[in-house]
Amino acid sequence: MSHHLPHLQNHHLPVAGSKDEPLYAIGARFDSPDALLHAVETLQKNGYSSYECFTPYPLHGLPEAMRLKKSILSFLVLGGGVTAVLIALSMELIPSTLIYPLVVDGKPLNLSALPQYIPITVALTLMIGAITAVVGMILLGGMPRFNNPIFAWDLFATESYRGFFLAIEANDKMFSSATINKLLHDLGGREITAIHQEGPEGR
Amino acid sequence: MSTSTIVTTNEADAPDLSVLDRPPQVLNNRDPRWVTDSVCSIVESKTPLWWYAAITVSGTFAGIGGACILYMIVTGVGVWGSNSPCFWAWDITNFIFWVSMAHAGSLISALLFLTRQKWSLSISRSAEAMTVFAIICAGVYPAIHIGRVWFVWFLFPVPNNYGMWPNFSSPLLWDVFAVSSYLTVSSLFWFAGMIPDLAVLRDRATTKIRKFCYGIFSLGWLGTARQWRHYEMMYVLLAGLTSVLVVTVTTIVSSDCATSVVPGWHATIFPFYFMVGAVYSGSAAVLTLLIPLRLAYPQLKELITPPQLDKVCKLLLMMGSCVAYVYVMELFNAWYSANAFERGCFWERFHGSCAWYAITCLSINLTIPQLFWFKAVRRCLPLVFVLAILCNIGMWFERFMIVTSTLTHDFLPSSWGDFHPSIVDILTATGTLGIFFTLFLLFIRFVPIMSMNEVKAAMPGTQPTHSTGEEH
Repeated sequence: MSHHLPHLQNHHLPVAGSKDEPLYAIGARFDSPDALLHAVETLQKNGYSSYECFTPYPLHGLPEAMRLKKSILSFLVLGGGVTAVLIALSMELIPSTLIYPLVVDGKPLNLSALPQYIPITVALTLMIGAITAVVGMILLGGMPRFNNPIFAWDLFATESYRGFFLAIEANDKMFSSATINKLLHDLGGREITAIHQEGPEGR
Repeated sequence: MSTSTIVTTNEADAPDLSVLDRPPQVLNNRDPRWVTDSVCSIVESKTPLWWYAAITVSGTFAGIGGACILYMIVTGVGVWGSNSPCFWAWDITNFIFWVSMAHAGSLISALLFLTRQKWSLSISRSAEAMTVFAIICAGVYPAIHIGRVWFVWFLFPVPNNYGMWPNFSSPLLWDVFAVSSYLTVSSLFWFAGMIPDLAVLRDRATTKIRKFCYGIFSLGWLGTARQWRHYEMMYVLLAGLTSVLVVTVTTIVSSDCATSVVPGWHATIFPFYFMVGAVYSGSAAVLTLLIPLRLAYPQLKELITPPQLDKVCKLLLMMGSCVAYVYVMELFNAWYSANAFERGCFWERFHGSCAWYAITCLSINLTIPQLFWFKAVRRCLPLVFVLAILCNIGMWFERFMIVTSTLTHDFLPSSWGDFHPSIVDILTATGTLGIFFTLFLLFIRFVPIMSMNEVKAAMPGTQPTHSTGEEH
């Protein structure tokens, strides 16, 4: 049972999810990208940090407003690519020169023959780089996760593809449902809802 | 969600700059909601009758093709027409044809994305799908053309029972890596780009089973700012990696021919030759698929607009002109080399028993794309459709010409021969066409055929007005 619960009920926010479960966040819907961006800027000014924005497409300027760091994915892919080069070259050179030297057409086996090992190296680098990029994006984005508490909010679960949503999580150090309710309301947030986790019976 | 229109000032004395405006991404000032509804309605509405008819036909061809492959496997490659001196014939022709066709999809979705060509956003998903399905069709051949498919593991980088490893300096092994890498990367690119759109379908799903299936494949996508941040980075990275593939895959495939010493193949122009041919046939394939698609789903007419198809036609024209250049250059080089075998090869190509397909190939590929210089031709979509199909036929004949006319006429006239495809050959080829169209029909029916999030993000009025981003 959440200790935030008593605060919340004083303010008669609509509740999503199961009231018996801990509060997850307070969510609001905004009318436009501008309203959402403005809300984020205000939240940042007021010192909130545990909140999340949900948009149907990437909004320019939003990550900067949220002070999100640059994605580390490019470094992961660089790492994947370098590893792939090493894997590819050892996979080709070790068998062809050490384990079972295979002389075809009198082609040399020393480093002067390196160009003939490049095509496979390129192909493998691209393949492993791409796998790293996709797996990295999925994992860094917190996926796959099918039971996210935000899905308890019916409005979000059916409208996330066209609405601009903001959810301030209950674990934010500044969290106070009264203040947040007022703040979101003043910023133009609509359908402000207290999102609880789903009960064990689920939906 | 607000919609806004671009206000252009056009005073009487100022020059009219509106001609410089980019054509709108979506016609008729539609709002993002309309985009979502129109694209999703293709998947959500009742399956149209023509779809069942089409998939029955394509499925039948695919089934016959599958039966032919099975027959070939249990009987042996003797059921094909390949014979001395033409051991590489129909199979490699079709392999090159399909793997080449795939390239325009990668070019449109990756290279045009990196160069910020926003007109390609609405066609990139279907072009990528075409890429993936064409590679699958291409992949049918390498595995079965080795004859004894149970030895296909000889292609993998593992030692065989004599402790011998595959020859890593052989272009045939490069091919294995190039094509499997191409399939992996383009499938990932296609799928990863689809995750946010699958989540849209999940949210809109009305039945439990749809919600479950789209829920699984959208991996729990929420569209949070953090997810979009990583997603956009991934998209740029994948576009970069895929752009390299556009150049490397056909280069490697062309090495199969170019690294041999056979006259007609042993040419440094081959990588370029194969690559421009690839994008040329791929652009034609994109047009062949998209024009009927617009007809089947009229709402797409506002999303896949004539100016966008016009640009694909221009791409086709450019690549077709490069192909024409290569044809002429090849003939010039054969003459200029003063090499009797090289000259003989090209002489035989246009005089021997294979003259008819060389002439078919050249007469199509030298003339048809040149018609696209005319705007009237590019804007007449039924005509574009017919011409695009002709281009594809021309390209198939080009691949057939390169493979068979060369092999049937090498150094020794005494070993010259002919190639005649068997019925199994032909039905296997139509089978791959069946596989391709079956997969494409399933794609139309079950996944969003357009990258809704990209189209919406690029529409006017969908971005914050006081953002610090580069947009508008």
